[in-house]
Amino acid sequence: MSTRTPVLSVDGLEVWFDVPGGELHAVQGVAFDLFPGERMGLVGESGCGKTTTILALMGLLPPNASVAGRVLVEGEDALAKGEESMAPHRWRDVAMVFQGAMNAFNPVKTVGSQIVEPMELHGVSSGRAAWNQAAELLEMVGISGSRADRYPHEFSGGMRQRAAIAMALACNPKVLLADEPTTALDVMVQAQILELLVRLTEDLGLAMILVTHDLPVVAQVCRRAAVMYAGKVAESGPIETLYHDPRHPYTRMLFQATPDLHGDDEVTSIPGAPPRLDREVVGCPFQPRCDSAFARCPQEEPRLREVGDSHTAACHLNDVPAQVAG
Amino acid sequence: MTEAIGLVEAPAAAESTPRRGFIREVLFGQRAAVVGLVVLLFFVVIAIIGPWIEPYSTTTQVGPVYAPPSSQHWLGLDDGGIDMLSEVIAGARVSMIVGFAGAAVAMFIGGGVGLLSGYFGNKTDIFLMRITDYFLVIPDVPLMIVAAAVFGRSTLNVVLIIGIIYWTSTARLIRAQVKSVRERVYVKRARALGGGHGRLVWKHITPQVAPLLVANTVLTIAIAVFAETYIAFLGLEDPSTISWGKLIQNSLSGGAIFHKAWWAIIPPGLCVTIVILAATMMGQAMEDALNPRLRVGHLSVRRFRLRPLRGKLESE
Amino acid sequence: MSGADYLIKRTVFAIVTVFVAITLNFVLFRALPGNAVTGLRCGHCTKQFRESIVKQYGLDKPKLQQYFVYIERLVHGDLGTSTFDNRPVWEDIRGPLVNTLPMIVAGTVISILLGVMTGVIAAWRRGTVADTSNTWSALAFYAMPTQWIGILVVFYIAIPLGLPASGIESNTLGILSTPSTWAVFSDRVSHLFLPALVLGIGLYGEYALIVRSSMLETLGEDYVLTARAKGMRNWSIVWKHALRNAMLPLVTLIALSLGSIVAGAIVVEDVFSYPGIGLATIDALNRRDYPVLQGIFLILTLSVIIANFIADLVYFKLDPRVTE
Repeated sequence: MSTRTPVLSVDGLEVWFDVPGGELHAVQGVAFDLFPGERMGLVGESGCGKTTTILALMGLLPPNASVAGRVLVEGEDALAKGEESMAPHRWRDVAMVFQGAMNAFNPVKTVGSQIVEPMELHGVSSGRAAWNQAAELLEMVGISGSRADRYPHEFSGGMRQRAAIAMALACNPKVLLADEPTTALDVMVQAQILELLVRLTEDLGLAMILVTHDLPVVAQVCRRAAVMYAGKVAESGPIETLYHDPRHPYTRMLFQATPDLHGDDEVTSIPGAPPRLDREVVGCPFQPRCDSAFARCPQEEPRLREVGDSHTAACHLNDVPAQVAG
Repeated sequence: MTEAIGLVEAPAAAESTPRRGFIREVLFGQRAAVVGLVVLLFFVVIAIIGPWIEPYSTTTQVGPVYAPPSSQHWLGLDDGGIDMLSEVIAGARVSMIVGFAGAAVAMFIGGGVGLLSGYFGNKTDIFLMRITDYFLVIPDVPLMIVAAAVFGRSTLNVVLIIGIIYWTSTARLIRAQVKSVRERVYVKRARALGGGHGRLVWKHITPQVAPLLVANTVLTIAIAVFAETYIAFLGLEDPSTISWGKLIQNSLSGGAIFHKAWWAIIPPGLCVTIVILAATMMGQAMEDALNPRLRVGHLSVRRFRLRPLRGKLESE
Repeated sequence: MSGADYLIKRTVFAIVTVFVAITLNFVLFRALPGNAVTGLRCGHCTKQFRESIVKQYGLDKPKLQQYFVYIERLVHGDLGTSTFDNRPVWEDIRGPLVNTLPMIVAGTVISILLGVMTGVIAAWRRGTVADTSNTWSALAFYAMPTQWIGILVVFYIAIPLGLPASGIESNTLGILSTPSTWAVFSDRVSHLFLPALVLGIGLYGEYALIVRSSMLETLGEDYVLTARAKGMRNWSIVWKHALRNAMLPLVTLIALSLGSIVAGAIVVEDVFSYPGIGLATIDALNRRDYPVLQGIFLILTLSVIIANFIADLVYFKLDPRVTE
């Protein structure tokens, strides 16, 4: 391993939502470290809590949410005092590209002015200098700088996505959170965006969390990934390991469910649905849909344990000794 | 009052999870709709049974001018010594008739134009929409006055005038709806299978459009009742009838202000306001139920809350 | 289409509508029962006199020719002659028009300010008491007939407080000495105040509800979340991002409600006996002074068309997407 310090360190992150009729436990204890220049994927089905997790990292949760945990941004606990401690880090240290970032731009203002906006807000730059920087950022993501004074509707969907990335980089953040950056884009454009993200993290030493339900995207871009299920991390480790040696049935079934362009593997979708998060779950949350569940699974919740080199998984199967339990 | 456009969103009961991503205002909306309906029905009933429950005649003087309310005359007497309560009850008849009938006329014209425009598209659409645009720009007051002067002052004409002035927003709404329904797969399939326009419209398009039309018409009732007070104010109604608008006008011209006769001023206006509120609440709730506006709000004055850490952290 | 195309399109539309309005005006008035002659208070006119009047107004010529005569007169600024006082219509209208303009402008400004303020507050503080009270107030005033509001204001506010509720100038002004310009001005304003206020109250409800609705929608847009992620404060987001987007439907609504504004002005002028174009309309109506009525309608319709056109321009300035 390395002696580097993580640029982002999340520990014991939990999120609840007040809803009519009770509480939704959307995130149930997520922990990971993110190092500079690292690209980490956060994958899972819709509703597994991955978007909520990264929203929590920036304190962008609605007022009916409560949060617990530690979010260390370059050593500082951003969550310590709630909004107060979160606000200084926004955009300066941690920036985000949202799902459907095509709409991240205000249609009645120019793209350039919206890239300049956080610069001036955080005192990074202002006036002419800021505009020039904005133009440079656009160039960096592959858009002609002269288009900075255009309006969002004059850009294509893919260009707007790239512009959103440029906007996220306006204050030189250390961490970029990308939520489904390629959904709703066609395949060619998708590839371009992913390539861009890779290039940026390498050139700028940027750390990135890529949230998606699309496994091939993660495989292409990320070295590491965490698989989330029902608000918890089911398994986490290097991409190759997850693919070749998954230690959680969910991970295995996820990869199997993805059509492989090159092989003849069957496409298996996972039957059933994730558990409701407004009730407490007894035992392993994946057990009802799991094809390898056994007696212990519905009774005891599996803890996230090391199963290999920077490889963790939360599954009782990893506890069972070599011979099949009698 | 401008046309029946979507106006109100009831305050949210509670925001829900971003996971589902929408705010349901059904709770407030449904209650409001029911209250609105009950109130409207109440006044409809009053209008219908009016002749039987009016305590006194609406044409004969029964006491001194602007006599204050008493146990015999709950709402006192007006500037002609006529019992106010009877007049208010009688007024309900014309006001409600004009309201409902006027809205119905607007519904027919607007619905028809919208249907033709949305269904046939192309030249028909452009032509009809151009006419709609012109109608919109010409102010209603001159139209009202001239129409009344040309065609005479009768309740029927009032109904027609209201219908002719206020159909445009309905037309726009229905046109949009018809267009979207027309593009749906099952309609395209039905068209491909042949069959005349009439059948297609009747079987496929109307069921999808009718509920919205009804909701919009309820909203138009509010506008029609409002417009009636205006037409009465201009003196363009049948002089032999009583309506709430007329009563409001009478209070002005009869000098109720100088006689401090609040009983002649407040009741008719209050009735109009209540009916319009009821129709608006009901129509709006219906429209919301049909076109739910799913809405997340990203800004709030309140913040997310912090909870203390539980359990052991991994790093400990 | 480009910006220039849009402007041209709207200009053409405005011009065409003007023509439609003029023609409609002509057609409707010529279709009125009786004509200028019967409108004359002329109990014992001789047949000869009537015939000379008919000739004078050109009523014996074919309709199409009358139309062109009408247009020609219009171009020369001739709106006809009042049958009530025999003065040119324009002279009868000019004074009231000048009186009404500041009142309508003041009333509309009040309604827009009230509408925007209460609408924004209600949307920002959604679900709280501020929201509920503002929304219900807006609904309530929206539902009240404007003349009723006027009567209530006179009854419960003007008279008890001794505020001017009638006419445009005090009777006592200028009795003892020639009043200064300031005295005249403030006197006019004090008489304009209540009518404008009532007009504003009558109109604001609808605006408030639309602003609230529109603001709620805007606050749910992704760019608002992005702005929050960028670290902007709430009020800054509302002011710099949300407001402009939320106001767009309001501009459209104002354009659509110009007819209501005119109607409201007529009503308040009657209630407050304010000598403006509204009162002139009512008087002309009661006197069956058709030429004046026709002239007023033309002016009103043209004003609404022009105002609509201005609204189109404003919208164009606010929303760059309009050129698509």
